[in-house]
Amino acid sequence: MLLEQAVRYSEIILGLAYAQQSVEYIRGLQPEKVWGVILLLLSCLLLIGFQPVFVEAGLLIIACILLYRFQGPYNGGSDCMSILVLLCLFLSHVAPTPFWKQIALGYLAFQLTFSYFQSGYIKIINTDWRSGQALTDVFAITAYPVSERVRDWAKSPRLMLFMSWLVIVFELLFPLSLLNHYALMVALSITAAFHLANACLFGLNRFFWIWLAAYPIILWFQSRLMAT
Amino acid sequence: MNSVGNQNMLSVAGQLIFRKTEKMLKFLLPVIFPSWRFFSSIGPSPRIHIGFLRDENGEPEVWQEFRPRPAKISLKSGFWRLLHSPKWNETLYINTCAERLFEGYSEMREREIMRRILAAIQKGEILVEAAKPYVTYRISAIMREGQVTTQQITFVATPVLLSDSVSISSVSEQGTV
Repeated sequence: MLLEQAVRYSEIILGLAYAQQSVEYIRGLQPEKVWGVILLLLSCLLLIGFQPVFVEAGLLIIACILLYRFQGPYNGGSDCMSILVLLCLFLSHVAPTPFWKQIALGYLAFQLTFSYFQSGYIKIINTDWRSGQALTDVFAITAYPVSERVRDWAKSPRLMLFMSWLVIVFELLFPLSLLNHYALMVALSITAAFHLANACLFGLNRFFWIWLAAYPIILWFQSRLMAT
Repeated sequence: MNSVGNQNMLSVAGQLIFRKTEKMLKFLLPVIFPSWRFFSSIGPSPRIHIGFLRDENGEPEVWQEFRPRPAKISLKSGFWRLLHSPKWNETLYINTCAERLFEGYSEMREREIMRRILAAIQKGEILVEAAKPYVTYRISAIMREGQVTTQQITFVATPVLLSDSVSISSVSEQGTV
């Protein structure tokens, strides 16, 4: 995938992701309602590719205002990834040379890869994760399960153990998929399904959309890596 | 005198800008250099309950859970929530505020939770008890110790007087508890 293509695809998905977030802010309280309206407007401009540098600068300013307003992210990791994708795309536009453009996008590809690897690493060094107990606690104790029926999954220790190891192994192996284009395509399909499952089971809908926005960049990064 | 006054004003403004920038960097740096330690350990999980009071110093007779989970979610509703789930994402934010209150008191976090509870009351999402014009909430922490799951109350918010319009409209629409 060419760099310009990857940036454009990424901007389209980012525009959709921000539009989705902004409509949720509009349904909330003031002052985020107002910011939500401006966010929606800028997302639409990003979607159609109108002046992406200025639009992304505007989105970055609002993201900072919201970060300040909520004294940190409103929606945890999904807000972090949203700002990271936005910042790297913005930097790729204002980069003085093609080299720095690639560095900006390469950083995003690195963070995406690292988001899976580090997640897997901190789980495998934790005995509770290795025994399936941690995932049981996620379902049984945390506020995440979207319904009581989903909470009941905690009653199946074998299922929890199997799911824990499935997630750990996949997250740890994800960086290896960068070695081959088809392996990466398969890996990204699996991670997309993983985010979809998290959205359905734990209601983490924003994670699903925003992680997808970084996928075109990692596809470009992989082809760039293989070309060297 | 004017020049000293201007200098003082500039110094105060400079300090204010410095403090704001420092605070902004404190929020921004972990986003630019994130740590992806999702569920590294499963700590105490917050549950929020709301209570209504006759007077500011009273004790609620009933604590009702704030936004209890449904028994199940249909496929159609699950698909819709993938696209649009403002209430759930707000609940996750409220939980984040509650988790911060586990770590130490923060007026902003206490206020944020109360603001959202009041908005939920105003929308008729929460039933208001008759002749009880004050509302409060408590946060309890659910955690596993060995094979036992325990629940401890960790925080009780300062009661807030409901505005007349909120208490009257909610009681007349939904009856009393």
